[in-house]
Amino acid sequence: MSTNTVVDDITLSIWHQVQYTADLCVKCNICTSHCPVTQVTDLFPGPKFVGPQAQRFRNPKEISVDKSVDYCSGCGVCTMVCPHGVKVMEMNAKARYKLYKKQPIPLRNRILGRSEILGMLASPFAPVANAMLNLLPVRILSEKIMGIHRNAPFPPFSFETFRGWHKSVHSKSARQKVSDKRVVYFHGCSTNYYEPRVGKAAVAVLEHNGYEVIIPDQVCCGLPMLSNAEFEAACNNAERNIKSLIKYAREGVPIVGTSTSCILSLKSDYQHILDIDTEEARIVAQNSFDICEFLLDLADAGELNTDFQPVEATLPYHSPCQLRAHNIGLPAIDLMEMVPGVKVDHIQAECCGIAGTYGYKKEKYDIAQAVGKPVFDHVKASGSEVAVCDSETCRWQIGASTGAKMIHPIELLAKAYGLQEFYFKN
Amino acid sequence: MIRYDTIVIGAGAAGLTTACQLAQAGQKVVVVATGIGALLLASGCIDVLGFHPADSTQPVTSPADALDKFMAARSNHPYKVIGRENIEAGLQSFLKIVNQTGCHYRGEFNRNWLLPSGAGAVHPTCLAPDALTKGELSSGKSMLIVGFQELRDFYPTLISQNLNEQDLGVKAGAVSVDVYIPASSKMNATPIELANAFEQADFRKQVVNAIKNEAKKFDRVGFPAVLGLKQHDAVVTELEKALDRPVFEISALPPSVPGRRMYEALKKALLSAGGRLIIGSKVFDGTIENGKVSQIRIETASRLRPLKAHNYVLATGGIFGGGLNANADGSVKELVFGLPVAAETNRHKWFQRQFISPEGQPVFNAGVTVNPQLQPVNGGNAPLADNLYAVGAILAGSEWTRGRTGDGIAVASAAAVASQLAR
Repeated sequence: MSTNTVVDDITLSIWHQVQYTADLCVKCNICTSHCPVTQVTDLFPGPKFVGPQAQRFRNPKEISVDKSVDYCSGCGVCTMVCPHGVKVMEMNAKARYKLYKKQPIPLRNRILGRSEILGMLASPFAPVANAMLNLLPVRILSEKIMGIHRNAPFPPFSFETFRGWHKSVHSKSARQKVSDKRVVYFHGCSTNYYEPRVGKAAVAVLEHNGYEVIIPDQVCCGLPMLSNAEFEAACNNAERNIKSLIKYAREGVPIVGTSTSCILSLKSDYQHILDIDTEEARIVAQNSFDICEFLLDLADAGELNTDFQPVEATLPYHSPCQLRAHNIGLPAIDLMEMVPGVKVDHIQAECCGIAGTYGYKKEKYDIAQAVGKPVFDHVKASGSEVAVCDSETCRWQIGASTGAKMIHPIELLAKAYGLQEFYFKN
Repeated sequence: MIRYDTIVIGAGAAGLTTACQLAQAGQKVVVVATGIGALLLASGCIDVLGFHPADSTQPVTSPADALDKFMAARSNHPYKVIGRENIEAGLQSFLKIVNQTGCHYRGEFNRNWLLPSGAGAVHPTCLAPDALTKGELSSGKSMLIVGFQELRDFYPTLISQNLNEQDLGVKAGAVSVDVYIPASSKMNATPIELANAFEQADFRKQVVNAIKNEAKKFDRVGFPAVLGLKQHDAVVTELEKALDRPVFEISALPPSVPGRRMYEALKKALLSAGGRLIIGSKVFDGTIENGKVSQIRIETASRLRPLKAHNYVLATGGIFGGGLNANADGSVKELVFGLPVAAETNRHKWFQRQFISPEGQPVFNAGVTVNPQLQPVNGGNAPLADNLYAVGAILAGSEWTRGRTGDGIAVASAAAVASQLAR
């Protein structure tokens, strides 16, 4: 892993501070032309207008934001395509925070921002909770009372949590690896409460490569709260995670995750959106890796176990916005194509529409569906029963709209390593 | 393990066409860029040589014929080192790449199209998208120019009056349409929103109804270049059927829809040939040691990430494109490798007194000096790094506004480098 040793700190340059990047904008509108939201609704004028252009009229001490900023989905395509380095999405997230300083945050947003608490409450009663969630009257009621769209793609709660499995099953099994090659796994809420299979696959693959997998204390990364303008609550979670992870980061133990948005929070959002400007935050950021990024680095160093069994499949793959914002390219494609027989059918679309909790909201559901349509059409036209995506909410959105079985790339690797019984049987 | 055969830095016309040719030749290629390159700010055409001398009012009708005179007058221009064969090869490979993706271009080296510009001037260009070529001015056929109230910066009356006053033998008229453009903000539609709207039959019908009587008085109908993005060909065909006459597009101000179509076509060609594209990652630096580039480092969300390849192609653009930085002390810096830059160092001589000067602005000639293989040098022919090449506007002497040679430099230098590396 020596290739990722940090020697320079790119975050110290003034031009990396979000608000100053407004001055780099030349108004070329390349961001507007790629924004998936502005193309389907007249409620959002476009990233240039509410981002760098409006920024010039914002006094740091005053609240003066246009309400349309609430229609930014936070996908970050604008920041990615900008040839001048303007942090458009980050600017909008900060403006949204200020918007909700002026007006109350709806209960709905507070609930959507706390998937962790929902999971904690519902997981022990998963069968009942899932049955309730699937009842149309319940859905209609929650739409009417709270503004959560009746067709919002909620995944089923898992009765067994990932942490529960790890503590009571895996750590007691002979499989668990003890090694001097250690890695920290940040599982996030979705893996813990909804998709423990992703976490099991991650543990299986990492252990198969000789790593001891540490599951540290952790709370929700805070991104759902951040994107619902609850910066104080998000900061609180961020501080707790940094506190738990810093000792590993200082020892140089890599922190890997299967949730692209959780890891992006560790890598970037804590510092650049929540303004947590501490040495600890930077060290954690510099030691955090998307799991496919981590594994591809191993491959480049000649250290990846390549005893893959062939998997004959052409798999539609959606690269989530929250992964592209890592600015590491798309390691999952190279990694999956190392498996003999696998061909990745990369879907060329900006966004699936869900953007975290955006597409769950009554007033934004239709926008999210319109944004995601090219992705859905591609998956349906492919005829494949399985499609791949690194991000959980995108998987739920695409799965709900296409009927495809959605998997994380790590699940394909676990299968190719012949480890699937590992997480299906236990 | 070295993952890539070639890393191309920059996603403009030069970088993408280089990468496409290498990927199609079977190389493992990755393009890394800060953002999307200048294609969305350009006309979507390939200008090779538009005017010579630069203050001539007569456009060049054949770049192939005018090239020798041009090169004699501009001895420092990159065409000199790139050579005529590579210009020809570059045009051919560009046509091959984009036409394979279904984005149709037409043109040849020995003929310029003479197309109406968004200001009603004559735009001489070598290769142009099908829909733009139907605006050819030398045909003498009359044209109705259509504008939209909500589309700022495209004024049909300005265009038609300018065309009429130039005695081009083309009668032009104008009409401005006021229809609701779906998904656009009130009073302000972007070209992309209009392009999406044109893909909807209802919207087309409204537009046709608004202009059909006026259109009958003209041989053909010209729209701003917003006639669809993904279903562009079908949109044009439908409009021609409904209006019963040829329909063409005129390049307008950015973000350019033909530029976007070109970008999407090159991206598609690259990815379908197995190439990789990393947009959003600025290249922080590159290291040259023992006469070779050993790696570059890109800025990721939290740290610098090294990327390695056997060969590296620098396609970051000039001062406009962000490949070079002109500083207050008169220095001009190349930003990835810190290569020596040939530039006017006296800041008082950077600009002429005239804003639009026939001599061009000297500072925009700043760039990297290369040997006949297009490898950066520091005087002489010995390369600074055996595996480093430069293409596009970063080449010294490029001042492309003068003579309109920017796209020609891009595709020609791309072909010159690709043909060496693909061997």
